[in-house]
Amino acid sequence: MTSLTLGAVLRRAALAGLFAGVAASIVALAVVEPQIDNALVIEEARSAGSTHEDPVFGRSTQVVGGMIAAIAVAVCLALVVGVVFARVRHRLPAATDFGRAALLAFLGFTTLALLPGLKYPANPPGVGDPETVTARTVQYLTLIAAAVAITWLAFLVHDRLAARPWPPAYRAAIGVAVAAVGYTALLMTWPATPDSVPADIPAALLWDFRLASLAELAALWTVFGLSFGLLLTPRRVPVAVAA
Amino acid sequence: MAAPTAEASTATRIHVPVAAWLIVAFALLAVFVLLQLNSTAFAEQIHEFTHDGRHALGVPCH
Repeated sequence: MTSLTLGAVLRRAALAGLFAGVAASIVALAVVEPQIDNALVIEEARSAGSTHEDPVFGRSTQVVGGMIAAIAVAVCLALVVGVVFARVRHRLPAATDFGRAALLAFLGFTTLALLPGLKYPANPPGVGDPETVTARTVQYLTLIAAAVAITWLAFLVHDRLAARPWPPAYRAAIGVAVAAVGYTALLMTWPATPDSVPADIPAALLWDFRLASLAELAALWTVFGLSFGLLLTPRRVPVAVAA
Repeated sequence: MAAPTAEASTATRIHVPVAAWLIVAFALLAVFVLLQLNSTAFAEQIHEFTHDGRHALGVPCH
């Protein structure tokens, strides 16, 4: 077995990130953009009659910009995960690099997308208050930082228990329990968003938008985990010597 | 030549130089500029360009 180098890991991570970003932007185009259009109709109706400020970019530019942003963000996150993968590969509890990549991608989705998405659900245009955007950004980023810390703590507990003569499944179950309790504690203690949803935003639009946003993030992390894992998998299965 | 055995469950350690964390820092900074930066004139251009992406990726926005 040839040993992996950091460069080889990062090249594969970057390519997987590119695939993930393309997949995410296709999902965005298919399911998120229609909801953004619905929200913009409401925003338009709100400002009807008042003087309109010229948008910096047209709608089609923003759609393309959103896709480019998804791809760029996916590649950047992939590089981060790639370095983390190289650093912790020998400690991840999976039998193959495919399993290790899938595990890291699952943790990435949980800590960077699902948890903040549950506490501070995605909102279409016309919901967020521009006055509170900095406060909301701080809430969102500190929650993610704390979720990453909890994940790290769960692995720390998992590794510390290695000295005990227990089956690996016991340690895995305890590690998952530590993470689950920790994540729940974060969701309960982090402050609620200062914004309230304007009355003219239908509940169905919020729900559809939030589901669509999660679908995009799930597509990003699923495609990243699968393609990163596949790219790390040797092309040829070692041929077993016939007995 | 000895056939390689099935991949062991304990993988070999990959050397990660300290400089590699610069890549992490740079990548996270890029994500921050793309998705989070809000308060400068330059940020307004970025904000408007990546606006749909920010909403779609669930980042706080207005």
